Parts: sequence; C-alpha cells; structure tokens
Amino acid sequence: MNKSLYHLENLTQVYRDRTVLDVDRLNIEVQTITGLIGPNGSGKSTLMRILAFLEKPAAGRVTFQGRPLSQVSPVLRREVTMLSQEPYLLKRSVQANVSYGLKIRGISDTQHPVRQALEKVGLDPARFSQRSWRELSGGEAQRVALAARLVLKPKVLLLDEPTANVDRESSELILHAALEARNQWGTTLIIISHQLTWLRQIADHILALDYGRLTRVR
Amino acid sequence: MDYILSGLIHAFELLFQGDPETYSAVKTTVLASSLSVGASMVIGAPLGFCLGYAHFPGRRLIRVIVDTLLSLPTVVIGLLCYAFMSHRGPLGGLELLFTIPGMAIGQTILGLPIVVAMTATAVENLDYRLKQTLLTLGTDPRQLLLTSLWEARFALALAGAAAYGRIVSEVGISMMVGGNIKWHTRTITTAIALETGKGQFAMGIALGLILITLALLVNLAMSGLKRLSGQ
Repeated sequence: MNKSLYHLENLTQVYRDRTVLDVDRLNIEVQTITGLIGPNGSGKSTLMRILAFLEKPAAGRVTFQGRPLSQVSPVLRREVTMLSQEPYLLKRSVQANVSYGLKIRGISDTQHPVRQALEKVGLDPARFSQRSWRELSGGEAQRVALAARLVLKPKVLLLDEPTANVDRESSELILHAALEARNQWGTTLIIISHQLTWLRQIADHILALDYGRLTRVR
Repeated sequence: MDYILSGLIHAFELLFQGDPETYSAVKTTVLASSLSVGASMVIGAPLGFCLGYAHFPGRRLIRVIVDTLLSLPTVVIGLLCYAFMSHRGPLGGLELLFTIPGMAIGQTILGLPIVVAMTATAVENLDYRLKQTLLTLGTDPRQLLLTSLWEARFALALAGAAAYGRIVSEVGISMMVGGNIKWHTRTITTAIALETGKGQFAMGIALGLILITLALLVNLAMSGLKRLSGQ
C-alpha cells in the first residue's frame, strides 16, 4: 500500500547566502507518521514550509504525488495544510474560523462539520462556536486552529511544534485529534516535536535535522 | 460683538426652520463627499493592499510619492481638474465642469492618497502569520486579498473616515470645479466663504455649525474605530 507522497532530492534552501537546508534524499509515504526532531535553527520549519508549498527551494527536486512542485495544481495544494506553534486566528468567531476553509472551497453547509471538528479537539460546540477569537486561552486557540485544519479532512497535516505553547490537557487533546485524523481518513502526518519519547511511540519514521543536514533516526 | 451674537441666533433659526438654501448646501456636500469617499475606498483599498503587501521594484519610490500626495493642495487639484474638464481640456466633452460628479472626481483625487497610504500601513502592520495561515488553509490570490482586507477592516474604515474628514472640509476643489453655483454645486465650505465675503454671517455660522458637527461625528467614529482596531 505504501506509495510515495513526497520525494525530495538534492534539495537546498538558502537564506542570504547561508545554506539552511541541505537534503540529499527524502521519501515520505502516504498515510505514514513522520517525526522531525532537531535543535532550534536546524531547518525543521524551513523543511515544513517547503512541504506546505509556502516556500520554493533554492535548488533540488521536490515532487508531490509524483508531480514536480511547478505542476502541483491549486486543487492538489489544498490537500496539504499546516499548523504552526503560534497559530493565527481570524478576527471572527470560533465558528467562522473553523468554517473558513470550507467556505473558500464553496461549501456552504458548515454547521455539522464544524461541530464535529470542535468535538474532535475537545471543545464543546455549544459553548465555543459563538465565542470571539479574543475570548480564547492559548490552548483553546491552538485547538480551534487545529479544528480549522481537521474540518478539511486533509491528506497531509503538517504540525510544527503544535504543543510547544499549550498546557498538558490541550497538548494531549491536540495529539489525540491528529492521530485520529490519520486513523479515520488516512491523513499523512509530519510532526515537528521535541517530545522524542512520544514520537517514538507513534511515528513510523523519525528524522533528525542538524545544521540543515538530515539523518534518519528510525 | 453684537453682529456675531445676532449671526449665531439667526444661524439657529436657519437650521431649525429648515432653510432650503442652507440645506441645499448640506445636501450637495454630503452627496459629493459620499461619492468621492466611496470611489476613494473602491480604488484606494486594493492599491493600498498591493503597496503594503507586495514587494516589487520601485515600491519605496511609489510609497514616497503617495506620502507626498497626502499634502497636495486642494487648489492645485482644482486647477488640474479644471484644466482637464474645461471645454478646451481632454475631458471637456464629458461636461463634468460645474457638476457634482466633477467635484467628486476632484475630491477622489484628494482622498485617494489618504486611503492608499493608510491601507498600505494597515496591511504592513497585519500579523505576519496571517498570510501563512490563509495559504495553508487553501486560499487563492483573490481570497487572500479579500480576507486580508477584512482582517484590516477597522483600519480601513479609519482610512475612510480620515479621507471623509479631509474631503468634507476642503474648499479649493469645490470652488474651482464646482463653481459654487447656488442650488446646484454650492457646498457648505464654499457657501461659508461666499457668505462671509458678503458680510452675511448667519448662514456662514449655521453651515459652520453643521460642518463642526460633521467633523465631530467623523472624529468620534475614528476614535471608536481606533479602539476596535487595537483589539
């Protein structure tokens, strides 16, 4: 069943003459969980942004579902979404934040999927859906941001230290919801985390980055 | 002092008795300024977004030009519009001179740099995470523009209020392009200038009171919007 989702070859990224990422070869297969570890500034987030189509590499070849980056259609790009450690919520209600991705895809009936997504991240829809973005704690905001991604049922979910700034309860709910997405819809997960023990439990592969160079831990 | 006091009393009489000449000037002012603020927002907000959002060669130069245009004298705009709209000018055939749409065009030129500059600043000050969030949620360029503008909505409304404040209080464009024609293109400011010249202070004071009320309302709206945009 395993099939290549991303394939990277001789990839480099350069910021102001400084090479921040230098990957000889990397293959990420569908429906797998890949953990990314490494010290701050090692290039983890840069790699994530390239995988999320937010950045183009300076050199090298990246393919997504067998297509080079330049040939990845906007429809295909929408199958990939990312959650950062400090997510941004739109200055709207929780309901509007979670339903935003559906609405821009032309889906008007959002009540039910939004309710389901909020339940997945442990937020009671009756209490939270009409709340304003400014009435949420850090952990709640992070869970709303994750719900906004989960409601899209993405094929790829990139999590960039999603639990770095939240309490333990929120952290557990976020990780549980992400794993449920993999189990329910076959979402491929790529997770940056410093929780190596946890990553060892759930990840199919763990990659370590140091000074932009990639090594496979497992 | 007596003539000022009697002017003030007469001004209230004009206002409360609904003097048609006074309210004709108010109507023209509101109509022309609403048209021009609307046009300034429709044209200026997307331009300001591009200026604040995109990085392209010459961006800084354009920003300097826009900032310079903020202090463009109204009589210069009036002169240019007059030259273009007069029968000998390139837009003479459109017969815009001494009309409310003609005045609105001139006032749009006055309001546009305010809207462009303030929108660009608002977009520059948007949270850096917004763009990444929108892109990872799957927005196309049009949705990215509209959502970013909506996120900056209070700052945009502030730009509109600032443009309105400048437009509603200008004299040069209304006088030169509108021609200060009674019942037709006479605005609050041109009427004040005329009536004061004639020594008729009552109507000048009455219109001045309305103008101050409008300015007060605009300022109240701006302070409310500033508070909202800061949240």
